[in-house]
Amino acid sequence: MMIVGGVLLIVVAMVIAGANSHRPTPAQVAAAEAASQKEFAMCMQGQFSGSELVGPGFQLPPGYATREEFCRDATAPQVDTGLQLRDLAMLLEHTSTFVVLLGVALAASLGGADWSAGTMTTLLTWEPRRVRVLLTRGLVVALVVAFVTFLLQAVLLGAFALAVALRGTSLGAPPGLLSTAVLTGLRVSTVAVGFGLVALAIATIGRSTVAALGVLFGYLVLLEGVIGGLRPSIQDRLLVRAGGVIVSRQPIYDQSHESFSSIGPSSLPPVLLGLTEAWIVAAVYVVALMVLALLVFRARDVN
Amino acid sequence: MGVIELHGLRKEYRRIRGGRTVAVDGLDLEVPDGGVFGFLGPNGAGKTTTIRCVLGLVRPNAGSLKLLGADVSSGLASVIGKVGSIVEQPALFPRFTGRRNLQILGRIHRVGRSTIDDVLDRVRLSERADDAVRTYSLGMKQRLGIAAALLKDPSVLLLDEPANGLDPAGIVEVRELIRSLGAEGRTVFVSSHILAEVQQTADQVAIIARGRLVKAGPVHEVLSAGRARGLIVKLADLQAGALALADAQIPAVVSGTALSVDLPPDQAERVTRVLAAKDLYLTELRPDEVDLETVFLELTKDEGLGT
Repeated sequence: MMIVGGVLLIVVAMVIAGANSHRPTPAQVAAAEAASQKEFAMCMQGQFSGSELVGPGFQLPPGYATREEFCRDATAPQVDTGLQLRDLAMLLEHTSTFVVLLGVALAASLGGADWSAGTMTTLLTWEPRRVRVLLTRGLVVALVVAFVTFLLQAVLLGAFALAVALRGTSLGAPPGLLSTAVLTGLRVSTVAVGFGLVALAIATIGRSTVAALGVLFGYLVLLEGVIGGLRPSIQDRLLVRAGGVIVSRQPIYDQSHESFSSIGPSSLPPVLLGLTEAWIVAAVYVVALMVLALLVFRARDVN
Repeated sequence: MGVIELHGLRKEYRRIRGGRTVAVDGLDLEVPDGGVFGFLGPNGAGKTTTIRCVLGLVRPNAGSLKLLGADVSSGLASVIGKVGSIVEQPALFPRFTGRRNLQILGRIHRVGRSTIDDVLDRVRLSERADDAVRTYSLGMKQRLGIAAALLKDPSVLLLDEPANGLDPAGIVEVRELIRSLGAEGRTVFVSSHILAEVQQTADQVAIIARGRLVKAGPVHEVLSAGRARGLIVKLADLQAGALALADAQIPAVVSGTALSVDLPPDQAERVTRVLAAKDLYLTELRPDEVDLETVFLELTKDEGLGT
């Protein structure tokens, strides 16, 4: 049901996007390429003054190995006519919230189904080793969430590529775009699996799908929203922030640092949550909650 | 050695508003191998909690449990393949067909398709096996639950109130099924609060009240524990019969349409001789059999639970 709904949503979204897009004219393409070449040359000389800082002592943003790589990406030709193939990976990043939420809903449903249907009793009279039962369920949830989320992202990519072919442009698409998009999709699916396991653990502790969704929603609003907003210093310990860093591969910077307001063109504020730390934070959440769920599930009476 | 052995089993539940409820209170029980064992008690006596403890679903506070010789707390997994069970209502996925439900369970122990067909046939659900469980009647769901319990070809079956909510035809079906399973040499442990059901199916019975064992043993022995048996005598002139027996020092009172004679059944010939000597002829003479219900009420009256 969720997969069918997701596919329908993608189709509708792409039809609407396609309707609001059109192919660029040859003149628009030529003008965009000329402007791009000019900006690239300036960028390489450190004169580019777009939103990025390229002056003396310029620090490359994460994800770029050389200045040329950065400049090529930052000055790629653009035409503002709607759908552009170069946005493929960005599209997956921007839809990752929905994909992860889908994974959470799926995992919470799988985790809560046996409790709400009362089939946990039946299951345990067939396999009384509870650790094995929960770990198997964890594996199943991980595989199902990974498959479904990656499948939906593949459908989204396919639909977007089709819409671009019909009503958009591939102008400025960098080489290796598809592999970048696939890697982004894999990261989104991995984050969805992590969130799914968290949902499964909470559904096991709370013995229901609603408990899992309710607790996660409460966490999202209270910790990530309110407390995370009021105390930015704890952002390096929050799950959703970590998920965002993993998907985008962009660290969270310490915006409270004094250098942030007086930042010169040569420096970036200190990193609050880097990519490696984000993986560790996410893993700690998943492992801690799964261990807690195991302990509760082992000790608890099943009535 | 019993198939199920409980020693000093105790289970308490915490109440939400504080305090504890003792569901099972030092229960000792040994269920012999083979046949049908009735586990009888009023609602709330601790039957379901005991079964849940035996199946490892609930952790007892004290006592030891053995199932097929294995300690339940540590070795249940080694014997669970030989144990089939239904605890209260069989929990099944309502949107799936009966066959699909059995296939899902069967995968855990790699049960083949032919076994599934066999058990469906055994509980007479073959014709409805491919319908969604939500369209089943209560009796059909109960039979599907028994089919699920039979999938492992178990040597021990634990059935918790298998006739609950069934109509008379369904009760008879389930009763016959239980009898046949016991006759095959399996040990069928059936809990029930319906006395007649246990009396008609079980070879052995244990009666519990308030979590404690009241009486256990073969059904006929438990029946004899209630009160002394007598004789029921029917004849045309009840008053004359009572006088004749009184003259012969045999206590008898008119009870409805018959005489209730306080004499063991093995002395019935004394009654026939005394009455025949007075030209009073019997139309009926039978032991005043005590049914399980009477015994149950008498045995549990001290507990204040006889209902």
